[in-house]
Amino acid sequence: MSIVTSMTTGVSEREANDALNAHVCKGPPQHEEICLGLFTLVLTEPAQAQKCYRDLALVSRDGMNIVLNKINQILMEKYLKLQDTCRTQLVWLVRELVKSGVLGADGVCMTFMKQIAGGDVTAKNIWLAESVLDILTEQREWVLKSSILIAMAVYTYLRLIVDHHGTAQLQALRQKEVDFCMSLLRERFMECLMIGRDLVRLLQNVARIPEFELLWKDIIHNPQALSPQFTGILQLLQSRTSRKFLACRLTPDMETKLLFMTSRVRFGQQKRYQDWFQRQYLSTPDSQSLRCDLIRYICGVVHPSNEVLSSDILPRWAIIGWLLTTCTSNVAASNAKLALFYDWLFFSPDKDSIMNIEPAILVMHHSMKPHPAITATLLDFMCRIIPNFYPPLEGHVRQGVFSSLNHIVEKRVLAHLAPLFDNPKLDKELRAMLREKFPEFCSSPSPPVEVKLEEPVSVEMDNHMSDKDEGCYDNAEAAFSDDEEDLGSRGKKREFRFHPIKETVVEEPVDITPYLDQLDESLRDKVLQLQKGSDTEAQCEVMQEIVDQVLEEDFDSEQLSVLASCLQELFKAHFRGEVLPEEITEESLEESVGKPLYLIFRNLCQMQEDNSSFSLLLDLLSELYQKQPKIGYHLLYYLRASKAAAGKMNLYESFAQATQLGDLHTCLMMDMKACQEDDVRLLCHLTPSIYTEFPDETLRSGELLNMIVAVIDSAQLQELVCHVMMGNLVMFRKDSVLNILIQSLDWETFEQYCAWQLFLAHNIPLETIIPILQHLKYKEHPEALSCLLLQLRREKPSEEMVKMVLSRPCHPDDQFTTSILRHWCMKHDELLAEHIKSLLIKNNSLPRKRQSLRSSSSKLAQLTLEQILEHLDNLRLNLTNTKQNFFSQTPILQALQHVQASCDEAHKMKFSDLFSLAEEYEDSSTKPPKSRRKAALSSPRSRKNATQPPNAEEESGSSSASEEEDTKPKPTKRKRKGSSAVGSDSD
Amino acid sequence: MNGVSDPPLFIKDIKPGLKNLNVVFIVLEIGRVTKTKDGHEVRSCKVADKTGSITISVWDEIGGLIQPGDIIRLTRGYASMWKGCLTLYTGRGGELQKIGEFCMVYSEVPNFSEPNPDYRGQQSRGEMGFKVAQNQGDANFHMLVEAMAGDLQIHSYKELLIIRQS
Repeated sequence: MSIVTSMTTGVSEREANDALNAHVCKGPPQHEEICLGLFTLVLTEPAQAQKCYRDLALVSRDGMNIVLNKINQILMEKYLKLQDTCRTQLVWLVRELVKSGVLGADGVCMTFMKQIAGGDVTAKNIWLAESVLDILTEQREWVLKSSILIAMAVYTYLRLIVDHHGTAQLQALRQKEVDFCMSLLRERFMECLMIGRDLVRLLQNVARIPEFELLWKDIIHNPQALSPQFTGILQLLQSRTSRKFLACRLTPDMETKLLFMTSRVRFGQQKRYQDWFQRQYLSTPDSQSLRCDLIRYICGVVHPSNEVLSSDILPRWAIIGWLLTTCTSNVAASNAKLALFYDWLFFSPDKDSIMNIEPAILVMHHSMKPHPAITATLLDFMCRIIPNFYPPLEGHVRQGVFSSLNHIVEKRVLAHLAPLFDNPKLDKELRAMLREKFPEFCSSPSPPVEVKLEEPVSVEMDNHMSDKDEGCYDNAEAAFSDDEEDLGSRGKKREFRFHPIKETVVEEPVDITPYLDQLDESLRDKVLQLQKGSDTEAQCEVMQEIVDQVLEEDFDSEQLSVLASCLQELFKAHFRGEVLPEEITEESLEESVGKPLYLIFRNLCQMQEDNSSFSLLLDLLSELYQKQPKIGYHLLYYLRASKAAAGKMNLYESFAQATQLGDLHTCLMMDMKACQEDDVRLLCHLTPSIYTEFPDETLRSGELLNMIVAVIDSAQLQELVCHVMMGNLVMFRKDSVLNILIQSLDWETFEQYCAWQLFLAHNIPLETIIPILQHLKYKEHPEALSCLLLQLRREKPSEEMVKMVLSRPCHPDDQFTTSILRHWCMKHDELLAEHIKSLLIKNNSLPRKRQSLRSSSSKLAQLTLEQILEHLDNLRLNLTNTKQNFFSQTPILQALQHVQASCDEAHKMKFSDLFSLAEEYEDSSTKPPKSRRKAALSSPRSRKNATQPPNAEEESGSSSASEEEDTKPKPTKRKRKGSSAVGSDSD
Repeated sequence: MNGVSDPPLFIKDIKPGLKNLNVVFIVLEIGRVTKTKDGHEVRSCKVADKTGSITISVWDEIGGLIQPGDIIRLTRGYASMWKGCLTLYTGRGGELQKIGEFCMVYSEVPNFSEPNPDYRGQQSRGEMGFKVAQNQGDANFHMLVEAMAGDLQIHSYKELLIIRQS
């Protein structure tokens, strides 16, 4: 720039021009120097801009390429740092470039449009939007020459229109934008088509504006009017949006930050970055519209490499989850969901990418545990969008969503969808809807027979929904609103929150005619009576008649299946409603078992098990069970609740054997599972009797326990704990508890805590489960570790416990062993010392001799001397500078000396601090003995023993000593006080 | 002399008494403003690089300009102990210069400005009590362990304070 200034100041224009030209001729570097110099002057000296631009145009020999590149670079990297004058000059320069029709100016225009931030109505951003729009409008003819610029400009301004409303200034701008977009859309629809399906998304958002309403009419009814090649909306919806459009609505700064988050930030560390991003871009109400741009960008543009995908980098779904959970308005939230699922709706595996649909499924999958509400609202949206996106294309949308799901399973994004769709964390109604819409992706609730749930409930729900959401969508307009009232209400149904659908108590007309024809005349009449009968009592009477007829001798058992179908249909409502009364009293329970269907159960209870009628009724139930698996837990409930069935719980076993499953265990597990999914309260209610009646099936079943703890809440847990303590419920037995707790290590945190609480409610000695310690890994099993730790601290250490605790591998951060040892040091120092001594001495022997040592230890624990020493050393470090003098106890010192004598040099070095404690002891033992009675006596002997394996005498000696001290807690206490006093003196 | 061109020092290598420090960090938190007797505004900001975090004391109006997420180069800084915590300062002739924002990977732990036993006479027993639970999943467990080991720590900590004061 200084060169240019020196050449042009103080000389005539001609001379200046010659000087510049001469310099430019010297070579490319000089050419660049001059171009950039003039460019800088244009940006910084508005007064000289005109002249400089002229010079620039004259001297440039590369068609302004250098300048264009520089502009692009500044826009992409530095725009936010530019001063206002500079920005104004840049706009001016671009306008000049466009006016001169410089090749490549369209690129600069597109880069410029990218600087206009979405969701930002601050003055500077509005100014920029307007300035660029002015250039494009003024130079419309030029714009029309570049099809990519047309598409990009339409995409940009269609999107920006949504932000521009409210003040008069914004309204005026909006009108300009509308006119501009409309003219391009009308005249150059083919160019706009290249955008792809996101064009429809943007047009949906502006459909309320009259001009666009008209356009929509043409798109739907008269597509050829827009372009002869345009066959209709489907064509557009089926074409994938090119990444450049999705990317163009993010400013370079947003893009950099999002890409940084998805490529560098580790999962778990994202919080602050999210906060910063949110503060900068998503904090105002106007900025809500940006979320969709971000979500579309993440789904369509950010496609991480496999390397990143398999690393611990922040996954895309987590960012989406964040964007969804921080939505502040319903409109934004529903638009965000639409953006997330947009590529699902018309998904075709050969044209679309799995990467575009993956975030939605993963955010649903991963939110299930921490934020089930998010998963629920998304699943709900996914179901409802099918009929509501655009009713005439419902079939296509359904197909698209199905293909997406299929593709997801095929590509193993998720191996199975059933755990997602049929998850107990979801509302019953939502799950029913999912089962209805996606039966192939839901596992049937239990038995082997496929159960089809075709219900007219959806109509009910839809009406309910639309009533509720009137006015919920003020500007997230229904896109296809010209289809009159139908769309008027339907388009609005893109839902934000998941409203639980009201229980449909309505008795839908049930169609059993196909079955009726197959029934005997007399039976048919009764079934019809049953159908007409309105009050329960009458129905019960008819039901009894039916049962009686079944039991008549001439009854054709072929009819059972048809009858079961009829009953199943007729009593559908029965299986949908609550089983367990709200308030549990004797009367309410008795009343709840008065349902017509339960008459079969009652009859069963009243029969002798060996007669033929009994097995006939079981056959009927088995038929019913195939068609309606819920009957299994209904039977369990009946057997528990009804007085008539008192003591007859074992009937269930007969029933289980009569079913196709044919086996009590499987049947019980299936039924409990179905019950768990339908009604947690009932599950808890049934739990005590199930455990009591079927101990062999239940007490060894980690599966059953997990079923229960996976769904109960803390209140229900407390209830179960009380049942256990009152003796009504036994959930663990000594022989199987360890195994179940080991299984529980893979469960969720809350589930694990529940299992432990239930365990603790029982009176099972902790010893029984101590071996679990060998399965507990530091970092992996914090729940079990802390539960066990808290229990251990209440126990007096036994040698086995100490051994198990010491058997834990040493890990610098794993403080489990040190903390429990420390605790025992405080409470049971002498006992602990004895155990440690004994363990040290036992493990000091060479491995081959271990066999001869018939110790009480189990073969499982792999305890090495080094491990013990390491733990002791950690304990020593932990106790330094306390008044605890655990390590000055005779047994410990003896054992240490003993071990030291046979240790190799490496270990002596490694544990020199530990061993040095024992050396001091030797010295002190030659002085007048401390209060220890045995110290003087036993120390020489232990020294003698040091070279040989410990003999039985030694062991028995030490254990009897510990017993002696066990039985006299008082002296122990006194001693500790005494010793601590000594400790503080020496301090 | 540490010039701008020298590779910046990692936060983990900052020790009390070091001078002429050249450090690049990202700002995590900005503390409340306190005023000194002679009217200076002082802010304690938590800053971090990939090796850990530290508190920097920022004086006067520049503190009002800094935002969380800013990437800053400190030149000619020094470190010393303030109320028992390692703290970073801008030295004479030193400055804070914003060189970017957002795009820097950091680690919030270890926090070198936490009262750290390493600076208190190298007692290794301290390992137990002051350790920050790094992983959220087992934070509970850690807290439990610390609580059980805890009373002892506090005891000796007090003792240390008494020794210091005397």
